[in-house]
Amino acid sequence: MVVDLDKYLKQDKDYYIAIGLEGSANKLGVGIIKHSKGLLSNVNKAKVLSNVRDTYITPPGEGFLPRDTARHHRNWVVRIIKKAIKDANINKFDIDVICFTQGPGMGAPLQSVVIAARTISQIWQIPLVGVNHCIGHIEMGREITGALNPVVLYVSGGNTQVIAYSKNRYRIFGETLDIAIGNCLDRFARTLKISNDPAPGYNIEQLAKKGKHLVNLPYTVKGMDMSMSGILAYIDQLAKDMFGIQKKQLKDEESGEFITKEDLCFSLQEILFSMLVEITERALAHVNSNQVLIVGGVGSNERLQEMMKLMIQDRKNGQIFATDERFCIDNGIMIAHAGLLQYRTGGIIKDLKDTVCTQRFRTDEVYIAWRDD
Amino acid sequence: MTESLISTLEDKIPNIKLNCISQGAEALVFESDTHPYYNDSKNCIIKYRPSKPYRHPKIDLQITKQRTIGEVKFMYKLCKLGIPCPNIITTDFPNGIIWMEFIGYKLENNEISSFKNWLWYLEKNGNDHDPLKKEVEFVCIKVGELIGKLHLNDMIHGDLTSSNMILVQDDVPHLIDFGLSSFSGLPEDKAVDLYVLERAIMSTHSVYAESYNRWLLKGYQQGYTNKSKYKEVIKRLEDVRLRGRKRSMLG
Repeated sequence: MVVDLDKYLKQDKDYYIAIGLEGSANKLGVGIIKHSKGLLSNVNKAKVLSNVRDTYITPPGEGFLPRDTARHHRNWVVRIIKKAIKDANINKFDIDVICFTQGPGMGAPLQSVVIAARTISQIWQIPLVGVNHCIGHIEMGREITGALNPVVLYVSGGNTQVIAYSKNRYRIFGETLDIAIGNCLDRFARTLKISNDPAPGYNIEQLAKKGKHLVNLPYTVKGMDMSMSGILAYIDQLAKDMFGIQKKQLKDEESGEFITKEDLCFSLQEILFSMLVEITERALAHVNSNQVLIVGGVGSNERLQEMMKLMIQDRKNGQIFATDERFCIDNGIMIAHAGLLQYRTGGIIKDLKDTVCTQRFRTDEVYIAWRDD
Repeated sequence: MTESLISTLEDKIPNIKLNCISQGAEALVFESDTHPYYNDSKNCIIKYRPSKPYRHPKIDLQITKQRTIGEVKFMYKLCKLGIPCPNIITTDFPNGIIWMEFIGYKLENNEISSFKNWLWYLEKNGNDHDPLKKEVEFVCIKVGELIGKLHLNDMIHGDLTSSNMILVQDDVPHLIDFGLSSFSGLPEDKAVDLYVLERAIMSTHSVYAESYNRWLLKGYQQGYTNKSKYKEVIKRLEDVRLRGRKRSMLG
């Protein structure tokens, strides 16, 4: 059976337009997407009309606090929506559906964006769809790369999950038992007082490229799950010893050279990404798949993509898919895309009281009505 | 590709006939009719953890060595306790190679006699053999007993599935694949071990899972002779079932 995606097509129209509002963390994104009628395929691809993003950047050594991030989103949301509509060059009444992130994420930023969504929905009389942030990443990744049924590695500031599709749900096969990978990298960046512009993880990646010596760190894979808080505590202590009052210098055992900031970043990346690649490979073996799709902010890290490529080469007919920073990092377009799919299968919110967003919203809670394999 | 991986092993142990029988996430398993130091033609199994090109060489060496040693130690202890598992012939830690005795036999459909294949075979040929007949119950109880004995000695398998048990002649189950094994006396770890098996049975033998799991637990009780500790594990198992193993993440 093939899913009918055109049951809700408006009369005299052969396309859909959706606007997506994303603000689950420190990025505020608005995107507009267009689907032509019929099933999405290689010849009938979704068209990105506009994709605008503004990031709340904090000074080095500080993270983003929910209250301040929410204020940033409130200040910017109207301007960003206006810019997105202008960039897309459409009439706002041509929009079929307004999509917003319903969770998971930080409470205050989510709430300030959902208020904007409710407001424009009522002014323009356009229905709302609530989207799971993780599903947004997965669906956008699939659409951009053309991966059919991949094992998805979703790595970002708040999530670390290995996901595979089975019977209308994206099921979680492995995940972090404590903190997320992006969180781990960001917090280490804070310890080293590395700049948060454009992103702490990006700056760590640049420093790691200059690192040479590997510092011994714990390796904590548990079956298909992993744990990172211990590694962070360990390397934080090393950094504090090295750059704190004691100025305790560490030496590399082989070469006798001093360990630098760059070496620490390099070691942290190597160990964390090795763990990620290993749990992904376990999931691949478990579900007998040979495609990997990397999504989420950390997915734009080139070293991670390179390691994944090396792993997949050793598997039969292995393929790897990754997107660039426009779609890896949180954005509005992915919310619009996943929301539009949900809209086309009848998933609109009928009552405003169902638009409440939630900090905890698991990937496998969402029923994927638009896939039938 | 797998071929290039196989050739890395051929370089390490030249002139030995290798037949790859499975590729997991971590290791390749080969069958060979050459014994490293006897001249008879008894088959043996070579488990090989290839070096992973994506890992930093230092991390890679450390992990390969650590896991190979861990697995061999676990099997050695099982052997000492008389819990059935393949005997170790020889090992090469830095290269991640373990030679062990070949166990099991070929089923009538030419598959290796793992617990999974054996059950599948009976399930499929259900017309002649009722899958729920006494023999299956007997073997399930035997498997449960085996796991009970393992836990009684504070040993955790870490990856209990029906394909990680091999039946030898007379249907005596043997445990294999100890890559994720550990030693722990906590009821929590034992309960999670059981829960992993329960989930694995449900996904691989969904139709008869309920009976299989009941029999397995019955056998587990028989094998776990320390009654008070057994009760603790079962109580914990009920908690683990409720909790699942996943929780919501902030993000």
